[in-house]
Amino acid sequence: MNLRSVITDVLLGIVPIALAIALWQAISSFGYAPVTLLPPPGMVFQRLAQQLLTSSFQHAVAATLFRLFAGFSIAVVVGVAVGLAAAASPAINAVVRPIVRVLAPLPKVALYPALLLLLGFGHESKITLVAADALFPILLSTYYGASMVEQKLIWSAMAAGTPRHQIWFKVVLPAAVPSILTGCRIGLVISCIVVFLAEMITSTEGLGHLLVTAARTFQAVDMFVPLITISLLGLILNGLLQAVRSYLLRGFPEV
Amino acid sequence: MITGSALLSRAAPLLACIGLLAIWQIAALILNTDSFPTALEAIRAVPSILGDKESLINILASLRRMAIGFSVAVALAIPLGLMMGRNRYVASFFNPLLMITYPVPKAALMPIIMLWLGVGDIAKMLVIFLGVSLPVIYHSFQGARAVEEKMLWSGAAMGLSAAQRMIRIVLPAALPEILTGCRTGLVLALITMVTSEMIARQSGAGNILFNALDMGQYDTVYAMIIIIGAMGIGLDAAFEKLRSRLVRWSEPGFDIPLSFA
Repeated sequence: MNLRSVITDVLLGIVPIALAIALWQAISSFGYAPVTLLPPPGMVFQRLAQQLLTSSFQHAVAATLFRLFAGFSIAVVVGVAVGLAAAASPAINAVVRPIVRVLAPLPKVALYPALLLLLGFGHESKITLVAADALFPILLSTYYGASMVEQKLIWSAMAAGTPRHQIWFKVVLPAAVPSILTGCRIGLVISCIVVFLAEMITSTEGLGHLLVTAARTFQAVDMFVPLITISLLGLILNGLLQAVRSYLLRGFPEV
Repeated sequence: MITGSALLSRAAPLLACIGLLAIWQIAALILNTDSFPTALEAIRAVPSILGDKESLINILASLRRMAIGFSVAVALAIPLGLMMGRNRYVASFFNPLLMITYPVPKAALMPIIMLWLGVGDIAKMLVIFLGVSLPVIYHSFQGARAVEEKMLWSGAAMGLSAAQRMIRIVLPAALPEILTGCRTGLVLALITMVTSEMIARQSGAGNILFNALDMGQYDTVYAMIIIIGAMGIGLDAAFEKLRSRLVRWSEPGFDIPLSFA
C-alpha cells in the first residue's frame, strides 16, 4: 500500500469520529440535551485529563490493569497448554472437546455470583472471571492452529533427526503462533470488557466501580470518563499486542 | 463398532455436562458451606423458579428483548459488513470507529442510556443491539473481503448489476463467516441481556439472579445460573443445527463459538 492510500485511509477513518464528536457538541451546545444528561465533549475530555493526574484515578486504573493482566495471563498459559495438549493427543482431545463445547457458549457473567460466594469480593473472583472468559478463544485458536500444521514440516523435522517430544516445541508451537496470537487478540478485548463488568457488579476500586459511583450520584461527566479510559486502554493494549505480533512473526511470510 | 463410537461422540457433550455437575456435587460436599449448595439442591430449585408465574414471565420478557435486539442488529450489521468488505473506502471509513468502540463493554453504557431512555425495554434492547452488532459486522466484513474476485468478474460479465452481485454472489459466499459472527453474537446477546438487567434491576432473568444473591437465597442463585447456562447451551446448539443446514457445502471452520462478554 502506498503512502497516498494510507493518508486517504487515515483521513476517511477520522471523519466518522470527528462527525460523532461534532454531533455530540452540537446536541449539547444547541441545548437539545441538558448538561446533566449529556455533558459537552470539551468538558468530558478536560475532566479526563484532570482525573488522569489524580492519584485515586491512577489507583483505579492500576487495579483494573492488574486484574486484567492477571486473568489474561492465566488464560494464555492454560489456553495454550490445553490447546496444544488437545491437538497432540486424541485421548486428551476426546475429554477436552465435549467439555469445551459445553462451557464455551455458557455466559460466564452468570457464573460471577457463584465466584463471588466462593472466592470473595476481592481480586480473586474478578481475575477468575476474566480468565474464564478469555480462555476459550485462546484455547480454540491454539487448538486449530496446532492441528493445521503442515504434516510435511513435521516429517522433515523428524527426518532431520528431531526427537518426537521436541517436535511440539520446535515445529508445532512456532507454526501455531499466528493463530495463537489471533486468539490472544480476541481474548484481550474480552478481558477489557469483562474486568470492567465485574468491577461494575461489585467492587470497591477500579474503573468499573468509578462508573457505578458516578451513576449513583448522577454525575454524567464522571460516567463518560471511565468509559473513554477503558476504550483507550483497549486501544493501547491492542497496539502493544500488535507490536509483539510483528516481533514474533518477523520470519513469517505474511503478518 | 462404528455406530458405538458415533453414539459416544453424540453423547459426549451430555456426558461432559454430567461430569461437570458431578464435580460440582463433590466439591460442594467437600466444602460444605451454606453459600455453595450441591448440584442436586440447585437442580431441585429449578422447577420452583420455572413454575412460578412471575419469574417465568420475567425470563420470557428477557428472551423477547434479546430476540428483538439480536434480530435488528443482524439485519443492520450484515449489509454494513458486506459493504465494508467490498468497498475499501467504506471499510476505512468505519474501521477506526469500530476499533474504538470494540473494547468498550456495551453493558457499561447501560447507566448512561438509562439516563436518556429510562429503565424500560428500549434501553435494554439498544444495549443488546450494540453488543451484537460489532462481531456480526466484523465477521461479515472478513467474509465479504475473502470472496473470490473472479466470481464477481464473471457475474459482472454476465450482466449482473452491483446490487445483484452483492446478493447473488457476495452474500452466499460470505455466509459461513457471517453465521460464525451471528453465533458469537447470540452468546453475546445472552451475556449482555443478563448484565443489562443486573444494572437496571427492574425485571428479567439477570434481575432474579442478582436479587437472589443480595438476599442470600443461594439455592435460587445457583438455579438461575443453571437456567441461564442451559439457555446459552441450548440456543447455541439450535443455531448450530440451523447453520449446518444452511452452509452444508462449506467445510466447518470453528465448530465452537468464540464467546464474547
